[in-house]
Amino acid sequence: MKILIVDDSRTMRLVLRRMLAQLGHDDVVEAAHGGEGLERMTDDLPELALVDWNMPVMGGLDFIKAVREQRAYDRVKLMIVTSESSPRIVYEALKAGADEYAMKPITGDIMDDKMQLLGLS
Amino acid sequence: MSVETINISYCTFTLGDLHLGVPVTEIQEVIRAQVRTRVPLVSSVINGLINLRGELVTTVDLRARFGLPPIAAGTESMNVVVRRDDGAVSILVDEIRDVLDVAAADFEPVPSIFSGPCRDLMTGIYKLDGSLLLVLDIDKLLDVPAVHRDEVHS
Amino acid sequence: MDDNELDEVVNEFIVESHENLDDLDRALVLLEHDNDPNVVARIFRTIHTIKGTSGFLGFSTLESVSHVGENLLSKLRDRELMISTEITSGLLAMVDAIREILQTVSTSGDEAGLAYPALVERLTELAVAPTAGVEPEAAPAPATFTPLTEIAETTPDVGEVPKPQGEDRPPASETLRVDVSLLDDLMNLVGELVLARNQILQFVQPQGDPAFNATSQRLNLITTELQAGVMKTRMQPIENVWNKFPRVVRDLTINCGKQARLEMEGKHTELDKTLLEAIKDPLTHLVRNAVDHGLESPANRLASGKSTEGLVRLSAYHEGGQVIVEISDDGAGIDADKLRRKAIQKGLLTSEEAHSRSDREMLNVIFLPGFSTAEAVSNISGRGVGMDVVRTNIEGIGGSVEVQTVLGAGTTFRVKIPLTLAIVPALVVSVGQDRYAIPQVSLIELVRLDAHQSPEGATVIGGIEWVQGLPVHRLRGQLLPLVFLRDVFENDLYDGVIDSEPRESFNIVVVQADDHQFGLVVDDISDTAEIVVKPLGRLLKSADTFAGATIMGDGRVALILDVMGIANRIGITTSERRGSRAATGVDVTDVSGTWRRLLLFSLGDRHLGLPLEAVARLEEFSPADIEMSGHRAVVQYRGEIMHLIDLGDELGMPSSRVEGQPMQVVVYTDANSSVGLVVDQIFDIVEEHLDVTETADSHGIAGTAVIHGQVTDVIAVKQILRSAVPAIFATASEVAA
Repeated sequence: MKILIVDDSRTMRLVLRRMLAQLGHDDVVEAAHGGEGLERMTDDLPELALVDWNMPVMGGLDFIKAVREQRAYDRVKLMIVTSESSPRIVYEALKAGADEYAMKPITGDIMDDKMQLLGLS
Repeated sequence: MSVETINISYCTFTLGDLHLGVPVTEIQEVIRAQVRTRVPLVSSVINGLINLRGELVTTVDLRARFGLPPIAAGTESMNVVVRRDDGAVSILVDEIRDVLDVAAADFEPVPSIFSGPCRDLMTGIYKLDGSLLLVLDIDKLLDVPAVHRDEVHS
Repeated sequence: MDDNELDEVVNEFIVESHENLDDLDRALVLLEHDNDPNVVARIFRTIHTIKGTSGFLGFSTLESVSHVGENLLSKLRDRELMISTEITSGLLAMVDAIREILQTVSTSGDEAGLAYPALVERLTELAVAPTAGVEPEAAPAPATFTPLTEIAETTPDVGEVPKPQGEDRPPASETLRVDVSLLDDLMNLVGELVLARNQILQFVQPQGDPAFNATSQRLNLITTELQAGVMKTRMQPIENVWNKFPRVVRDLTINCGKQARLEMEGKHTELDKTLLEAIKDPLTHLVRNAVDHGLESPANRLASGKSTEGLVRLSAYHEGGQVIVEISDDGAGIDADKLRRKAIQKGLLTSEEAHSRSDREMLNVIFLPGFSTAEAVSNISGRGVGMDVVRTNIEGIGGSVEVQTVLGAGTTFRVKIPLTLAIVPALVVSVGQDRYAIPQVSLIELVRLDAHQSPEGATVIGGIEWVQGLPVHRLRGQLLPLVFLRDVFENDLYDGVIDSEPRESFNIVVVQADDHQFGLVVDDISDTAEIVVKPLGRLLKSADTFAGATIMGDGRVALILDVMGIANRIGITTSERRGSRAATGVDVTDVSGTWRRLLLFSLGDRHLGLPLEAVARLEEFSPADIEMSGHRAVVQYRGEIMHLIDLGDELGMPSSRVEGQPMQVVVYTDANSSVGLVVDQIFDIVEEHLDVTETADSHGIAGTAVIHGQVTDVIAVKQILRSAVPAIFATASEVAA
């Protein structure tokens, strides 16, 4: 399964990549912001995208909206992974088309659970 | 706060029979003897150069600076690394002792019984129980003449 | 994650956070001037990321500090609060704290008990304090400092918002992070390749195999391009250093009550990473200096018809294979007469010297050690680092700094930095246990000499001839003067012992110093390497035989030879040089007919001379130091017992020494012993072409010469020693020879 990580923090990308590897997912592509994420969507067509909320150029919310506008990406699962905890943000993300929501700091177990919820494990 | 209650912490060490101290605020770190590169044609007080995590640090032989004979063969000197404005300098001493807190009010000028280099290289002393703590004057210590007055090389 | 993976993540976190923080200083200062929502959002994001990641990694102090900072920033972002000098200062303090924690984490692996209760409280208070609140457009701009104008870069707008970092960097998937050490390795390999290429090119002959010649040319081109490419990977924009300056200038102006505008031009000019590191502190000092000493107070500026706000301008550009960085101010300029007074007062120049110099020449005194200390350097203007250190550091990387000033109009410091790195190809040689690096630029060629052991056990080197007692090597019909590196450093390190083990060969490194070629004789040639030249510290400033030092692959320090310095030291550039001692086997008392350096001293009313080669050191002993061992006077010297010989007694010359006064002693060191020659007074060292009249009948005197109009007896040291302390010196000198 191909997974896309969209996060402006190199550290978080590394953390998530390691975590996914432990869960047995090695086919991972990265993007540093939403705009780059959209390019990766086109080029790599992942099954799951882990999306940060706060990013330069294009934030998580705009990225999700942009992805959901394209029918071609209907089957792509989108999971917001962020340390923003305000209910307003959770609401906006889900309304815009996110499928799951995970809070940083996220653990491998939580990631596994969430992926099962999405029917991906 | 009255003067009597101000304490100063000194990193202390020995050099032969001398018990010496430097304010801990001057110290960057204390490390064991390091592989050292000798530097010819400079004062014998300059013991050499060491690589301290990529930084070039000059080591000063405190025994030579005090005019004492070299440390006994087989005994390792310790590096007391002091931070100066233009980089770190390491001072080679015999043995590291405790960090001592002493009352600033007990600081005394160097008594006249001391003479020679010893006297010039100290800012003052503290009388402790049964011993003297001599406070080093780092600036003077590091003010090593270009080539030592007493050395001429052919 | 296992420990390794965790370490990797922590390292990534530290590197990434530092990068973002560097950007933040600048952004915060910009924000103070102009409450731009994009800038707030960017700052917020950085702190937010640090908070999130530090929570994940379990750095609780970092998390708590960044958390309150994030809180405050979110209120700025949502316009619940307006930016103020207090808030900016608080946020800058937060950035400093975060840096400190990151630093601690990177050295010790954890936060090591750091805590910032006061800062947390301050930031919390700032976040609740109701500052203004309801005038989003009319932010109270601080009076003191206009952050930066970027000329001829993106747009000419004042205070233009830097682009968010994501925009002007290649996408994450197209960049790689590479360890600098890997680049260093590549650089070394390219260096090797260049050397091999050079060797191959020597085989190219006009009439040779055309295929070989064509391939060699191709190799040549590819190597050159590869070298340029690898060099380029190490280049970084000077912006990386300049980013800190808006903050520096802001803090300074507030502290010293001045007003300043900072302009930057040419921030994309690239420099090698090593050079960039090396000029960071000197440039910072010059910028501080411009604000602190260059610019006048607002009142004084008004009085001289200037605007209250001073200008500090940085510019960087390429010129003739160098990078030029200029730091200028529109302040009062430097008054040469003031410099004169100060230099005289500080004893750096005599009154005559000061007044005989032009104003322009006088300017250079600011670079003298001891000039810009104490009163000149206020507590603001830096940690007591003087201009002399600035110059030393810049010269340490092969650069230079000059100053121009116009009284009343301002001062410009012009720093020239070589483009061709502080990384130079060098030859690594060894003498005994010690390694030295010789920069490739001084090298001409290498010659190997075979050696064998004589029946007496001495090492005999083939291919060396003696001309007037000096070793030379006949190289393609030319006589090449030889210098035994061991000899140059001998007194200090090798104590006259040729080598603990017999050697089968020696190597001559033919070097060029000015117009002179000579051969440095070393034990071994170990390697060629691209070395990073590090300047020697202040304590080693006088070591003119060394151009610096470098850290070798095994972590050890190796000194870099200054071929010119060595040539000067042994006098090869001035005249026929002196003989060398142990390796040449020339008796140092054999003085006639050559240039000699003599130590001049007196015994009673007699003037005497002693070849300087025989002198290891000059010492002074107080009578209390002298002990008697049998009939002989001895002193404790460098952990050993040293015999003292009263030269007056030995030569039968009356001494005028006063009992109880300190004694002047010339220390002579042979293969393994030292002996002290007691003399009356030491005068001078002279270099003379000796015309010695033999006076063989006089014991201990090699001859007599007229030096400075004085009849001077030149003493025969070995003869004296053999008769005075036969037990030590009867054979030792032969061994040494």
